[in-house]
Amino acid sequence: MDRNQLMKWIKAPTKMAHKYSLNAVYFCTGCGVIEVPPTITSRWDAERFGVVPTATARQANLFLITGYVSVKTLRAIIRTYEQMPEPKYTVGFGSCTINGGMYWDSYNTINQLDKYIPIDGYIAGCMPRPEAIFVAVTHLWTLIDKDMADGYKRYRKNYAAYRANQEMILGEMEWPPIFQTEVATAITEREG
Amino acid sequence: MRILWFVLSPLMALAVGLFFLGLSRRFMARIQWRVGPPLYQPLIDILRQFTQKSVSHGPLFDLGVVLSLASSFIVVLFMPLGGTAPLSSSGGFLVVLYLMLLGPLGIALSGGEAANPNVSIGISRKLILALGYEVPFLMIVLALMTYYGTISIGEIVAAQRESASAIASFPLVFSGIAYLLILPAMLGVRPFEVVGAAQEISSGPAAEYGGPYLALATIQHGLTMFIGISLFVNLLWGGASNPVVFFLKMLVVFAFGFWVNAAFPRLRVEQAVRYLWRWPTLIAFVGLILVATIGR
Ligand code: SF4
Repeated sequence: MDRNQLMKWIKAPTKMAHKYSLNAVYFCTGCGVIEVPPTITSRWDAERFGVVPTATARQANLFLITGYVSVKTLRAIIRTYEQMPEPKYTVGFGSCTINGGMYWDSYNTINQLDKYIPIDGYIAGCMPRPEAIFVAVTHLWTLIDKDMADGYKRYRKNYAAYRANQEMILGEMEWPPIFQTEVATAITEREG
Repeated sequence: MRILWFVLSPLMALAVGLFFLGLSRRFMARIQWRVGPPLYQPLIDILRQFTQKSVSHGPLFDLGVVLSLASSFIVVLFMPLGGTAPLSSSGGFLVVLYLMLLGPLGIALSGGEAANPNVSIGISRKLILALGYEVPFLMIVLALMTYYGTISIGEIVAAQRESASAIASFPLVFSGIAYLLILPAMLGVRPFEVVGAAQEISSGPAAEYGGPYLALATIQHGLTMFIGISLFVNLLWGGASNPVVFFLKMLVVFAFGFWVNAAFPRLRVEQAVRYLWRWPTLIAFVGLILVATIGR
């Protein structure tokens, strides 16, 4: 952890601020949510690393999806993700978000979350322990440092594909595309 | 010297307000047997929020936050922070009473533009809660103004410096106790955290704020805390002769407020109003009657 290194703060203040102020929306879909309370309370105390839960998507920059995603919650997940201000990071929690896990052949859950919203990293396990969340956070720090946590840019760039995937599973969606696809590509090219 | 204070006192309010925000998180963490974030965590948060892109819901949404922040800064100018207040002679206490309402009003205006049901519930709760604590607060204020025969905060502070501080003198001790009882409600901390209840109404009026808006709202929150505490120190604890003593006195009041925050669960809004209109109002009323009959 390089939170106390003043030089890094002077060199890249935004990056450091994004690293050490991860306000998380916990999307409590599956069983994995049971690991979140010990993570944020006295036992493991995620707040000392600046990871705190927030109540609304607008205030957050970390999106933690804790477990299997049913088709119905996918709609809410997409809306929540699109409401978060950029830059934003997403972490899938548990094997269910990676490939469906033990709900692989369920009739009402999706298998790969990455098809519908961009994921910056996964925590493997069924279910992962709170320690794994901390490992994930340190990995996320590394990714932010190396500019590799760029899910939100990928979303903008490949919005047409993501939207097509979303519509395939949800049918008609009640909100219009948030990016004009050509516009989104242009913005991404400009900002890199 | 007064010109200097025009710059210094908002800066001091900003610094101390942010420090209190950080300290409150640390304080709560220690009470809950945790390590807690570093003291400068609010600074990191604000830096992060300022660099995030956010949506606006309309011109009023932008202006409301600015209005509430500006009004808080102006209130600070009326506060003698262990010295002379920059705006002490021009209006005094009554202006502060009006301006203090502008803070929540600005947030309400801006939140109303967002048309989020959680925001509306939060705002209505804020107004109900304000109705709850304004009644005893006005009685306390009235008692103080009658007792000292002035409407200027600076003169009240000066009068207390000559004799004992208000909370230690006989009829005003009731007002002091009543003020201590409503202080958590004015600061919006836990037993009265009905407005920004994160688990219930998604942090209420701040629900639609993201990015820079949230940063400004956070600063405003820090300033509100600063104003609530410094008003208590000035009115009832005799202010201070220099900013350092003033700050130390504020720390004591702050510790009291957050000890209450850590020790009590949240009340429902009607329970909060019932409490506020019963004990603090009763005690403040007794204080007012005593001041009116006995006098100085
Ligand atoms: S990965 Fe395991 S623990 Fe997590 S939601 Fe799926 S089945 Fe439950």
